Amino acid sequence: MNKTVLIIITLGLIVVMGIIFTGESDSESAQNNIEIRNGIQYITINAKGGYSPGISAAKAGIPTKLIVKTESTYDCSAALVIRSVNFQKILPQTGETEIDLGIPKAGEPLQGICGMGMYSFQINFGN
Amino acid sequence: MLKKYTFHVTGTHCASCKILIEDILKEQDFVKNARVDLKKEIVEIETDNNQDAEEVATFLTNKLKPNNYILSVEKRLIEKENDLSAQADDVIWKAIPIGLVFLALFFLLQKSGILNLGIGGKTTPATSFIIGLIASVSSCLAIVGGLVLSLSAKVSQDNVSDKKNFILFHLGRLFSFAILGGTLGLAGNAIGINFTFTAILGIAASLVMLLLGFNLLGLFAKNKVTFPSGIFQKVFSVFRKIEHKTFTPLLVGFGTFFLPCGFTQSMQVAALGSGSLLSGFLIMFAFALGTLPMLLLLSFGPASFAHSKHAPLFFKSAGVVVVGLGLFALLAGLAGLGIINPLFNV
Repeated sequence: MNKTVLIIITLGLIVVMGIIFTGESDSESAQNNIEIRNGIQYITINAKGGYSPGISAAKAGIPTKLIVKTESTYDCSAALVIRSVNFQKILPQTGETEIDLGIPKAGEPLQGICGMGMYSFQINFGN
Repeated sequence: MLKKYTFHVTGTHCASCKILIEDILKEQDFVKNARVDLKKEIVEIETDNNQDAEEVATFLTNKLKPNNYILSVEKRLIEKENDLSAQADDVIWKAIPIGLVFLALFFLLQKSGILNLGIGGKTTPATSFIIGLIASVSSCLAIVGGLVLSLSAKVSQDNVSDKKNFILFHLGRLFSFAILGGTLGLAGNAIGINFTFTAILGIAASLVMLLLGFNLLGLFAKNKVTFPSGIFQKVFSVFRKIEHKTFTPLLVGFGTFFLPCGFTQSMQVAALGSGSLLSGFLIMFAFALGTLPMLLLLSFGPASFAHSKHAPLFFKSAGVVVVGLGLFALLAGLAGLGIINPLFNV
């Protein structure tokens, strides 16, 4: 085969890889996953084959709890690490895990990542 | 009286070749001194033997044959080598797209969500076997599989038939999973598997993959990295010695228990929760058994390509895949440790 053709194919493949890597699995950021009950803000994240929604927007300045839902989750997303609140745990295969986030400050996003670093999610806090 | 000979050497593909050739040559009674220059690809020996150079070269080549080195008086195959390097240039341009196609397919598979099958209910040996099958094509393959592929491709490229080592590796893996699983079941929750520890282990594995991957691509072949003598030579010769010991592959198989893999960790938790030696043992054993078919393919596949005419293309493509997986594992590991921001969501 011609070298030029091969180089073009290579570049094409690199673009495809870029799309695979940067593309959001499903942009559910609009999904309503935040609820305020009795003065406490609950943020729900589903953990299975990644975290959804990938980016959430929540309120700062009120007591906040993060609920991570697993449903027969065996992959990396079960091994959750949230460094800013010192949380490191392998979640139950199916169930809900409640993590106390205290009172988040505006402009300090919270990041959760799975133990192997393949999946992550972010919660932005604003006023 | 000592006589000095200079020979051309072919087949030197690595920095440790220097040490190996010198060791073998010095073992011969009549060789008083031997020195290898990898850059010039020549070997100088001093001997009290009075044979002519051709005979000495033939005799020593016979000693070096098992390791695939050839000594000659005349510089060999100069034209053929030039030919080969032109060919190698072409091969790399074919290998890069082939490797990238495999990488793209692999990551697409992760992204597709096919692997997130719902396996509900209690973890039994049967379900953990199925989870093992899934894990063996999941992102865990990037680390354990990439490591196995890089090792086996390297080994077959070097023409060492090392079936025994891989069988030991897989036996070590099966048994350590079973035994550690049993221990977890028995201990309840005494052993916490530390995330930071597994992440560091994963980064170490990814570095090995990158090194072997570049090696497969032949990037080190042209300007061989020669380690400064002294401490590095000592480390290398120790490394060479333990490489051939039986316990090494067993130990590496044992080590894969701790490599970062979400599936393995979930199974470890399931074994912990199972509450008994036997059920923990069975869960982890079934899981390791489930990952076996894919890993066996990666271990023994390269050997069957090693002697076909597509061998160079295969090894270079494998090199591209291994480098890609190694980079992925490295970046993911660094992100997992919180050193860099996560760059991707696979």
